[in-house]
Amino acid sequence: MADGREQPGAPALSLQHASIAYGRSTVVEDVDGEVRPGSAVALIGPNGAGKSTLIKAVLGLVPVVAGRITVLGRTPAQARRHVGYVPQADTLDADFPVTVAQVVLMGRYRMIGWARPPAARDRRIAAEALAAVGLSDRARERFGTLSGGQRQRVLLARAIAQQPRLLLLDEPFNGVDAVSQDALLQALARLRAEGAAVVVSTHDLALAHVACDEVCLLNKHQFGFGPTGTTLVPELLRATYGGQALEVRGDSVIVAR
Amino acid sequence: MLTRLLVEPFDLPFMQRALVEALLLGVVAGVVSVFVLLRRLAFVSDALTHTVFPGVVIGYLVAATDGVVWGALAFALLSAVLFTVLSSGRRVTEDATLAMLLTGFFSLGVVLVSRRSSYTADLTTFLFGRILFVDSREIVETAVIGAVVLAVLLLVGKELVLRAFDPGAAAALGYRVAVLDLVLNVAVALVVVAAVKAVGTVLVIALLTVPGATARLLSARLPVVMALSVAVACLSGWVGLAVSYEASVDHGVRLASGGTVVLAMVACYTLALPAGAVAARWGRRRVVPAPDPYPRRTGVDEVSG
Amino acid sequence: MSLFGEDYTRRALLEVVLVGALCGAIGVHVVLRRLSFFTMAMTHATFPGIVLASLLGVNLLLGTGVFGVLLVLTVAGLWTRRGTDQTSVVGVVLSGGFALGVVLLSAQSGFTKDLSAYLVGSILTVDGGDLLVTGIVAVAVLALVTVLGKELLLAAFDPAALVAMGYSATVLNVVLLLAVETTVVVAVPAVGTILSVALIVAPAATARLWCDRITPMMITATGLGILSGVVGLAVSQLVDVAAGAAIVLTACGVFAVSLVATRLRGRWTARRAAGRPADERPAVRVRGGAGG
Repeated sequence: MADGREQPGAPALSLQHASIAYGRSTVVEDVDGEVRPGSAVALIGPNGAGKSTLIKAVLGLVPVVAGRITVLGRTPAQARRHVGYVPQADTLDADFPVTVAQVVLMGRYRMIGWARPPAARDRRIAAEALAAVGLSDRARERFGTLSGGQRQRVLLARAIAQQPRLLLLDEPFNGVDAVSQDALLQALARLRAEGAAVVVSTHDLALAHVACDEVCLLNKHQFGFGPTGTTLVPELLRATYGGQALEVRGDSVIVAR
Repeated sequence: MLTRLLVEPFDLPFMQRALVEALLLGVVAGVVSVFVLLRRLAFVSDALTHTVFPGVVIGYLVAATDGVVWGALAFALLSAVLFTVLSSGRRVTEDATLAMLLTGFFSLGVVLVSRRSSYTADLTTFLFGRILFVDSREIVETAVIGAVVLAVLLLVGKELVLRAFDPGAAAALGYRVAVLDLVLNVAVALVVVAAVKAVGTVLVIALLTVPGATARLLSARLPVVMALSVAVACLSGWVGLAVSYEASVDHGVRLASGGTVVLAMVACYTLALPAGAVAARWGRRRVVPAPDPYPRRTGVDEVSG
Repeated sequence: MSLFGEDYTRRALLEVVLVGALCGAIGVHVVLRRLSFFTMAMTHATFPGIVLASLLGVNLLLGTGVFGVLLVLTVAGLWTRRGTDQTSVVGVVLSGGFALGVVLLSAQSGFTKDLSAYLVGSILTVDGGDLLVTGIVAVAVLALVTVLGKELLLAAFDPAALVAMGYSATVLNVVLLLAVETTVVVAVPAVGTILSVALIVAPAATARLWCDRITPMMITATGLGILSGVVGLAVSQLVDVAAGAAIVLTACGVFAVSLVATRLRGRWTARRAAGRPADERPAVRVRGGAGG
């Protein structure tokens, strides 16, 4: 996947004391850390912590007002072609007349270019991406007829078809059934094995444990960024979630939505 | 000079009646237009002004001038109900349904009227109204309908605001959202009926959309928005009438009064655009201006954070 | 047999076929992007362009076209401003534009003459030049929606992903709005405002009821646009009512019948599929166990 211009070992995503403003106020302050190729970072924090905003800033859709964000050694806007983005499936119009195969093929549009029809190769890559999330048999159905979890997998397949080197997922496990959750995790693991970096925002601490090797604790500003084992600890989680954290046993924290 | 322009024309009885009509409508429509803004009903208002047309024609055919208001009322209520019912459809979005009801009903009116001889004159009156020819009976009709609308909005105003802001919460609290929608659609329909004969469709659409939009540019607080909206609607009515009179009497340029009133309103909106931006910048201190990075769909406004 | 025997009726027939195809095709994007109100506003707001063109004595289509481009840029510019609501911007542009046309027209003498034609069209008076322009625009717009088909599809389905992939949403939006505006500018002098809105929205909405994919939807909408035009024109010749109104009522009638038919069909298939198991389980959201 490497195109040779990057130095080996260069981070897929580098956040250098970045502060992000959206509209009238600063949403996220002073986020600092690196995501290397092949690794996965979970963005963890309560609702309104700025997780989505941070993801949008990595896409170059929201301005960075202090510090710096570099993606694959370039500015976010320049790197977009190599960045896959998986939105929450429930923000999309379920009645829209597109098939599953069409949605996955959308990931190829940037590579196909303006005004050209998709080539056989694009269709093959899209079909492989759909197979990777285990939905090949639903290709010809309308997107809206799938369950929420399956829609989320289709959107991941779209991002996979883009052959991204950095993949951003915004709450991909929200309202997802167990089968789809397993399929999503498998597909993510394969992408990482191929050298893509993954950033996923989630509420689910157990999933963060399973799917990611690093976490970034976020609530307006950064409460921790590091390996899952040493960062996903009760003290830091309590600090991140403030009053929303609830201690049950000595070392367990239930996080209220 | 200003007195001569803004006060003197209204020495004439027909100008007085026009002014009274414009101010009455300004007060009612100014209030309703805030709800139209909150619920994004601009297209519904536009559609209602057209769907009453067959009612006007049928009313006229059945009972001449006396029947017009009743025909318009019947079709306005029918359309308000249809809009409320059909907006729950899923595959075809609300705006497409509205467009078809609008064009379909209007065409029905055209088919009916096209078999009469005074075809074009009827259509023109319908579009532009004849505010300079309102009689006292029409003013009474407007006042009565306007009072009904204001009374209804006074009773259920806060519920309508809640529904506009968070329909989920309104339903969770036990309100029937469909009923609230119907109430507002009927209120808009009543304003259309009260106004359409006197001032024409174009002016009604403007009255129902522009004052609220203008006021919202200048303030974010609902009572202030409401007051500003009424002020904009009334001021535009006054100035528009005066200017059209001045132009036709002193300068020999005939300007359609209804159209001039609308242009006065749009002028307010245009002035409010930069004024609103300045006010907003003033109100926030250490704020970073950012362009809206999210492409939005018409009629859908999502804010995530 | 002599229904379309006269020269003017044959020209009218050709015009409704061209306009029907053009409106049907662009209508798919209007319906999917919820631009019906925008379309309605453009038909009204372009009015002063017509009046100005005839006042200044320039070519009608040129005058309206230039005015239309200005309007589209105004609307697109206001849409990107923070704090302005899209619907109210369209409403303001609609009433402001139309009122400007009315005031300009009233300053002239022949106040009532052109208006009903403007509203419901005078399809029986189209000439060869009108046909030629409609034909050229129809080909251009059809080519545009075909060539930019996949980008426009993505923009309609998932605008956030469009921007995330690095496309300029503004450019695509302006291109689409200009295509809609061009359709309106060409259609209004021939068929009137109300008819052009109906021909843009109704066939596409009807096609949406029957089709679940965009390509068949496009073909169905184009076909229905032509069909409504031809049937409406024939009816108006037989019963002597305004042609534009007859076409609108045909297009809306087809939609109403389709709505009922698809609802009945949906109820029937739902009853057949009632035994199918649900494949969605409730998700687990609250988890514990940090640090070990």
